[in-house]
Amino acid sequence: MIQTNKLTKVFRTDEVETTALNEVSFGVDEGEFVAVMGPSGCGKSTLLNLLGLLDNPTTGEYYFMEEKVSNLREKQRAKKRKSNIGFVFQNFNLIDELTVFENVELPLIYLGIKGSERKKRVDDVLEQMGMLHRRKHYPLQLSGGQQQRTAVARAIVARPKLILADEPTGNLDSAHGEEVMNLLDQLNQNGTTIVMVTHSPSDAEYARRTINLFDGQIVTENIKQAL
Amino acid sequence: MIISYLKTALRGLTKNKFYSFLNIIGLTVGLAAFILILIYVRTEASYDQYHEKHDRIHRLESNFTISGKNDQFGIVPIPMAPTLKTEFPEIESFVRFSDAGNQLLRYENKESYEKDFFFADSTIFAVFSHPMILGNPKTALVEPNTVVLTESKAKKYFEDENPLGKILLDAENNQFKVTGVIEDLPANSHLKFDGLFSATTLAARMGEERFNTTEPVSFWNIGVYAYVLLKENTSIDAIHNKFPSFYDKYMKSIGDQINSSFTLMSTPLADTHFEGNYSADEPKGNKMYLYIFSAVGLFILIIAAINYMNMATARSVKRAKEVGIRKVAGAHRKQLINQFLSESVILTAVGLVIAFLVVYLLFPSFQTLIGKELEYSALFNIGLWLEVIGTALIIGLMAGSYPAFYLSSFNPSKVLKGTMSGKAGGSGRLRKLLVVIQFWIAIMMIIGTLVISNQLSFLRNKDLGFQKENMIVMELQDSTFRSRGETFKKELLSHPNIVNATTATGVPGQTGWIQVVRMEKETEMIDDAMIICIPDYDYLETYDIDVVKGRFFRKDMGTDATEAVVVNETTVKQYGWEEPIGKKIHWGFNPQGEGGRVLKVIGVIEDYHYNSLHNKVQPLMMFIHDDISKGLITVKTNGRNNASTLSFIEEKWHEMGAKRPFEYQFLDQSLDEMYETEQKTGVIFHIATVITVLIALIGLLGLSSFIAEQKTKEIGIRKVVGASVPNILVLLYKEFAMLILIGFALAAPLTWWGLDNWLQNNFVYAIDISWPAFAIAGIASVVIGLLSISYHTVRAANGNMVDAVKWE
Repeated sequence: MIQTNKLTKVFRTDEVETTALNEVSFGVDEGEFVAVMGPSGCGKSTLLNLLGLLDNPTTGEYYFMEEKVSNLREKQRAKKRKSNIGFVFQNFNLIDELTVFENVELPLIYLGIKGSERKKRVDDVLEQMGMLHRRKHYPLQLSGGQQQRTAVARAIVARPKLILADEPTGNLDSAHGEEVMNLLDQLNQNGTTIVMVTHSPSDAEYARRTINLFDGQIVTENIKQAL
Repeated sequence: MIISYLKTALRGLTKNKFYSFLNIIGLTVGLAAFILILIYVRTEASYDQYHEKHDRIHRLESNFTISGKNDQFGIVPIPMAPTLKTEFPEIESFVRFSDAGNQLLRYENKESYEKDFFFADSTIFAVFSHPMILGNPKTALVEPNTVVLTESKAKKYFEDENPLGKILLDAENNQFKVTGVIEDLPANSHLKFDGLFSATTLAARMGEERFNTTEPVSFWNIGVYAYVLLKENTSIDAIHNKFPSFYDKYMKSIGDQINSSFTLMSTPLADTHFEGNYSADEPKGNKMYLYIFSAVGLFILIIAAINYMNMATARSVKRAKEVGIRKVAGAHRKQLINQFLSESVILTAVGLVIAFLVVYLLFPSFQTLIGKELEYSALFNIGLWLEVIGTALIIGLMAGSYPAFYLSSFNPSKVLKGTMSGKAGGSGRLRKLLVVIQFWIAIMMIIGTLVISNQLSFLRNKDLGFQKENMIVMELQDSTFRSRGETFKKELLSHPNIVNATTATGVPGQTGWIQVVRMEKETEMIDDAMIICIPDYDYLETYDIDVVKGRFFRKDMGTDATEAVVVNETTVKQYGWEEPIGKKIHWGFNPQGEGGRVLKVIGVIEDYHYNSLHNKVQPLMMFIHDDISKGLITVKTNGRNNASTLSFIEEKWHEMGAKRPFEYQFLDQSLDEMYETEQKTGVIFHIATVITVLIALIGLLGLSSFIAEQKTKEIGIRKVVGASVPNILVLLYKEFAMLILIGFALAAPLTWWGLDNWLQNNFVYAIDISWPAFAIAGIASVVIGLLSISYHTVRAANGNMVDAVKWE
């Protein structure tokens, strides 16, 4: 599903040049659950941006679903992104002015799916997340866990092949965190590929494989033994 | 403390250059427009108030009812004012002004036409306040053949010489001794003059007795502007109350004979500029325009103030942190309010200073625009500045109040933790409301401008029923020249470019006179006032006026010269003539109803617009009368090489022995001048609209930059989940377009109502307000509005979503 070859990202300002990601090569198979760990500033977010097709690498190659995508323009990236990738953020990134239902509906609108179909799919996924009774609420009326469940609902509503999650439990208490991790695990059981950045070793436990990043480079990879 | 406020305020201004620039530009333009409009309104509203005794001075007016037809005039019979004074002790003094017409004045080799000279009573300087620079106000206009000049006219003729005692000559070589020089009249004088001849000159010419007669018949001729100065603590009502007995004594005997009556009317001097709609009067101000422009001035200012409020609250996102830190450092809420208010007041002050410079630079063009000569002193008027500074202060405080109270209420703990940022920037609803108000106003003005210019072009292009292009009109000034009119005409026709020519007593725009005639109606003859024009046989052909029935005058029909009359369609309608040909009109009878001519209608001409389209076409009659001298000659050219045609005419003009310099007017131009007020109003409105729209757009530009910033996160999220750049643009544009459309929906009915009123009240012939003006205004404001937000919107939509959504 994912294959990178010497993926490098350099940020330049007028005075400073920072290498956020240094020749990172790794792969993720379809159906895998991979955790990326490492200290702050090690390049985790940059990696997620590249994998999520939000940004292009400075050098190196990125193959997504057997297709080279490292040189695509934003328009083409957007097209790939919206039908194949779902995002879950640490700070949820819900739109405050929209209801739970409307937030979840967004990806389907941009995919051009018809209203009746959208309603059905949003309701389905909200039910799956246990959020159906909150569909008319606004994000600020919800608890953190509910917000993150809404965000997960939004991430999966378009039935993406890949979910990228960034510290999905970072802003949640442990009970809510566990709830969200169980959700992701369940999605993975059902065949969705997940790449998750995390600080939390217990969250990483859910993953089958853990990649450790340090100063923009992969330092170790642990594969969890099948149970 | 104040120093600290000043420092932060100035640093804030220089730090946020874009906002400061927009704010100051908006405020400057708004204030400059406001100051200019205020000067205009103050000038209009202060007419004649510079006369110290203005509250005791009243102008007299006439109200004649002749055979049931009512006519009101701004002038009164010559003996009215002096006779009133002898009868009524309330009157302390009076002044009469008799228009001297177009005078050709000469001193040595300097000669020129003077249109604004009057014969005036010597009491003028006791009644009115016209500071005299040279001469004695008590004696200046006592002697016959004396003249008092304004300063600029004195300079014009005598330059640096002392004008006192010098002699000015008129076209007939009458001598006038200069006995005084007064200051030029301020722009806010309803009766403007450049010089005054002594009224005793007229008395000397006519004979004392005839000039001062109080014979009843002299009260039935109107002729002079007259003003009375009342004694202290008396009221003009007393005179009106006692007037019936005055009428019985001086006027009734004739009135009864001609089945007519008269009442005296008057207007306080300071109201004369606006009040009343009289025949034979000086140009009036229009209060409606005064209100409109006051409103426009306020609108512009409000829009500029709204800009400030909008941008300042928008900026509050960035300033939230400053507020938090100041509060933590011990600032009270009151101190913060003071700080923000002083900031907005300082900004307004900066805007005011620049606005003053702008006003100063624009002052000459502004005078041309409003068609009034103002003095620069009008700019430095203390009253004006108290009003301007007062208004600016209010605007500054108003504009600063929302940000001040809103920002100072921030909770420091939340602000500093950063949880505020999403919601800071004030209630979006208020900001939206303000934008709606701005567009409401702007769209009203756009529609107004469009409809006004439609009406003006309608007036210019309406088929008036006669040819107005390539027509040259000349006035045959002196009687000898006039008697040679027919010869002059023949000479002119010899030129190949001259197609036709006609002499007459009237031309479109200045049509003859009004006189009571006897009209055949059913079985009797009734007295009625008619507009009369004495043409020659070529009038119809030259002017290309259509004959509806019968025929126009023909030289080969001998009786046409004495017995025939041609009327317009309105006459036929008004008297219900089923067969107009042969109907009788008795003209020129004496008070006993005898003499004159009994004319028979031989033809009916189309209702051509012999007057401006402000007035409805009235009954008009034309007949041939060789003994009445025709002072106007119209020459129709083929439009080729006008310059050579004109120089040919000029040559002939002098050959004919005309005593005066060659003067002519193109008919289409002089007709256009009848709509000068509307045209000027149109131009002023146009400029005001451009300014309003401009300021509103500046506001929109600033606001879009804020909203784009505020929505960065939302845009990022939407893009991450699949929105394309066009999706985002539609989203942002839709929001603004909605506001503009709401503004449009509010503006449309109100504007429709207002413009409909304006058209109905000011024009007899007006366009129907049509939807295209509204459609254009609506579409234009949406398009322009969206263009103005495009820069920030497009940038925001294309922004980097990675920064926007921040993973951690």
